[in-house]
Amino acid sequence: MGFFLETLIGGLMAGMLYSLVALGFVLIYKASGVFNFAQGSMVLFAALAMARFAEWLPHWLGLDSLWLANTIAFVIAGALMFVVAWLIERLVLRYLVNQEGATLLMATLGIAYVLEGIGTSLFGNNIYSIDVGMPKEPVFILDGLFEGGLLINKEDFIAALIAALLVGLLALFFQKTTTGRALRAVADDHQAAQSIGIPLNRIWVIIWFVAGLVALVAGVIWGSKLGVQFSLVTVALRGLPVVILGGLTSIPGAIIGGLIIGVGEKLSEVYLGPMIGGGIEIWFAYQLALVFLLFRPQGLFGEKIIDRV
Amino acid sequence: MNHQIGDVILDLKNVSLAFGGVKALTDISFDVREHEIRAIIGPNGAGKSSMLNVINGVYRPQQGEIILRGEHFARMNPYKAAKAGISRTFQNIALFKGMNVIDNMMTGRNLKIRSNLIQQAFWWGPARREELAHRAKVEEVIDFLEIQHIRKTPVGRLPYGLQKRVDLGRALAMEPSILLLDEPMAGMNVEEKQDMCRFILDINDQFGTTIVLIEHDMAVVMDISDRVVVLDYGKKIGDGNPDEVRASPEVISAYLGVSH
Amino acid sequence: MLYRENGQFKTTYAADQQIFPIAQDRWTILGILLIAFIAIPLLVDEYLFRAILIPFLILSLAAIGVNILVGYCGQITLGAGAFMAVGAYAAYNFHIRIEGLPLLVSILLGGLTSALVGIVFGIPSLRVRGLYLAVATLAAQFFTDWVFLRIPWFTDNSSSGSVSVSNLQVMGWQIDNPVSKYLFCLIFLTIFALLAKNMTRCAIGRQWMAIRDMDVAAEVIGIRPLFAKLSAFAVSSFFVGTAGALWGFIHLASWEPAAFSVDRSFQLLFMVIIGGLGTIMGSLFGAAFIVVLPIVLNQFLPALGGVFGIKISTAGVSHAELIIFGGLIVFFLIKEPHGIARLWSTGKEKLRLWPFPH
Ligand SMILES: Nc1ncnc2c1ncn2[C@@H]1O[C@H](COP(=O)(O)OP(=O)(O)OP(=O)(O)O)[C@@H](O)[C@H]1O
Ligand SMILES: [Mg+2]
Repeated sequence: MGFFLETLIGGLMAGMLYSLVALGFVLIYKASGVFNFAQGSMVLFAALAMARFAEWLPHWLGLDSLWLANTIAFVIAGALMFVVAWLIERLVLRYLVNQEGATLLMATLGIAYVLEGIGTSLFGNNIYSIDVGMPKEPVFILDGLFEGGLLINKEDFIAALIAALLVGLLALFFQKTTTGRALRAVADDHQAAQSIGIPLNRIWVIIWFVAGLVALVAGVIWGSKLGVQFSLVTVALRGLPVVILGGLTSIPGAIIGGLIIGVGEKLSEVYLGPMIGGGIEIWFAYQLALVFLLFRPQGLFGEKIIDRV
Repeated sequence: MNHQIGDVILDLKNVSLAFGGVKALTDISFDVREHEIRAIIGPNGAGKSSMLNVINGVYRPQQGEIILRGEHFARMNPYKAAKAGISRTFQNIALFKGMNVIDNMMTGRNLKIRSNLIQQAFWWGPARREELAHRAKVEEVIDFLEIQHIRKTPVGRLPYGLQKRVDLGRALAMEPSILLLDEPMAGMNVEEKQDMCRFILDINDQFGTTIVLIEHDMAVVMDISDRVVVLDYGKKIGDGNPDEVRASPEVISAYLGVSH
Repeated sequence: MLYRENGQFKTTYAADQQIFPIAQDRWTILGILLIAFIAIPLLVDEYLFRAILIPFLILSLAAIGVNILVGYCGQITLGAGAFMAVGAYAAYNFHIRIEGLPLLVSILLGGLTSALVGIVFGIPSLRVRGLYLAVATLAAQFFTDWVFLRIPWFTDNSSSGSVSVSNLQVMGWQIDNPVSKYLFCLIFLTIFALLAKNMTRCAIGRQWMAIRDMDVAAEVIGIRPLFAKLSAFAVSSFFVGTAGALWGFIHLASWEPAAFSVDRSFQLLFMVIIGGLGTIMGSLFGAAFIVVLPIVLNQFLPALGGVFGIKISTAGVSHAELIIFGGLIVFFLIKEPHGIARLWSTGKEKLRLWPFPH
């Protein structure tokens, strides 16, 4: 029982990170109808910038406070993500309005290559570390309830907490602020939004920037766990099943979907993996999402839509 | 050829359809006789298109049944409907945008194709012969609708009026026994409307096709239809020949009253 | 020779329904075939065969398959690499497990196996569309990646799925040097392209396109989405699987699952989008573009750096390649979303009207 709970909690914590990545997809899809395959490259790019600036700044400025260097590096990386968002809108999106989904998807793959190329040329392509002072040691909790307590990874716990916080903030932002509401209006109907004077281009920059920040946070969390390296781009692929499970346009879907996938993955890895050879977590999430889709094609929170003819 | 209006061929009994909370159709019953032109009229959002969609199985009603040539269907599906000889046109033209006029109309022959995928891949005798035979049939429809000059044009490049005509052509290529037309004249100028009227009457007359027609233009409806059903807010408020319908106070207040 | 269609009147529907109704097109194609089958084997050197021509032929075949699914039937797939893998490994298993099975049969059986797997992974298309389907096809990709890496039975118990074949021959014809490999692949491509062209101009092709353009209207006409979509998945996977078998057997000779990774899937999708969705010719254009571009960049960039006195490192070249490749893709999508095939046909249109533009 204790072991099962440990796995479950581990799954929930991992799931929170998936939710964060999925949220990046959902934000952009909602606002611009683009399925952003460059999300993974944005994570890589942001994490590289963060890692390298945190490493360079102490040399350049003679800083000796790790905390200060990290903060400035984070701000610089954030600013870079803004530039990226702005450039993407300037150079790509505005020319591709009203193109088909497949074309837009391909364009983001192109963007992904460019980002990866620029990121690795500017910042190098070795393994770098991000040290934001995450505790690495495991802790025991609830030892009153269970014999020996539950073993929880503190780092995962904090990471999940940060992710949850960010997700919550973004949800609030969408529900409560004027900009957030404008963003949702754009999501519902581009033309209508334009006709009531919502500046689409600015909205796109904002939303890609927000997605960039989400990527940055995801990059920092993953980077400090596993090191910043090229394989970070695959983080996005882990978020995709979450998106189809939760629905491309649903923020609650991304959150719940992430948790389901996180838990499903961990449980399958622990209980199913040994039976069929291990390493299954990469496809298991996809199959889980697929089977789910067969029964509920509109996703977790999507409404059933009957085509009008 | 002269086709006398015959027995009931299509009978709808107590059909109700809702989308979430929206009741598109409430307890509708009416029948269609063989060879007649049956009009469905009503204000915007009355449920006319939904009615057609129920008849050929695009929408699934929650209640009611459809009796087609004596066979009972709780739910139709588009494939069964097509098999049974029902074809239709669409209010918002639903042509295959990536294809030219001939190919669009050739799709209408789909149910009559017998050759299989392998034969087609090798352009094998039966596949080739069949393709040519159907092409000849489609050319007949093209001649009938007088659209020879655009046969190779991608449908996306055609003006609206011609697109409507091709939409009708695709439905005709199926050689239907029942033809459902959803506002075939909407958005057309007077001349185009006259052409379309002529085609509808000719189809009914020459091929004996039973026609169910949705149309907003009252003059046209009263002119060419044999019987009229009136819907309003998903309810049937009138049914009869044009004169009866025109005289019904309910219809006047609900529908004609509004538009005049 | 002028490109003219006036004066070429068609008196029968048969003449009008030829693959190339315009005489000049027929001559061009004939010319290209003559060059491909006779001139190139005589003139071209080995490096070109290995680096460009053979990969081009095989990937063209795969791209036609992807185009059938994506371009003709409108079902986006990000899992084409998976079906190449299935084709390659299935063919491999037939090849080593059945003594004396002719090479051709092994390869075609590889394609058929891939078609069956394609049908299974096509089932979600009956329920979901568009981008959801695209993501669903990734399931096929990651699943096959895993299967060939982790389940030793499929790879003859070799470690990490790496297998190899040797001593290939078809009815006494040794396929061991670049020219014979090239010709072998060329024959495949020619025949398969013809089959694809036939299908797309017949009833089945119209069913696919109808589903792509307006699925509700297609259903109303009596097209069954189940049959149309799954047949597109099957035919597409058959083509892609056959290409996979050729890629493994003929081009690589020894390979591991990474040869058919998700990057391969993306690459194939690029080919059909850049080449032109819904055209057989476009698949070839796209394949040529994607195969040749990295090689050109690889040669060209260091030279360009040399002009400016900059020495570009190997890593630098590969980064620059990524950037330029990505940039070109975006540029292409913006400038000509209908692909190279559209440029080609507008070019022909101009030529047809020349010298009177209207
Ligand atoms: N697929 C659908 N999903 C949700 N609601 C629908 C759908 N189809 C129709 N409705 C609703 O059902 C009602 C009837 O619509 P319908 O299209 O049948 O009207 P109509 O009489 O054809 O109107 P019009 O003259 O404008 O074509 C409307 O309120 C409409 O919004
Ligand atoms: Mg309507």
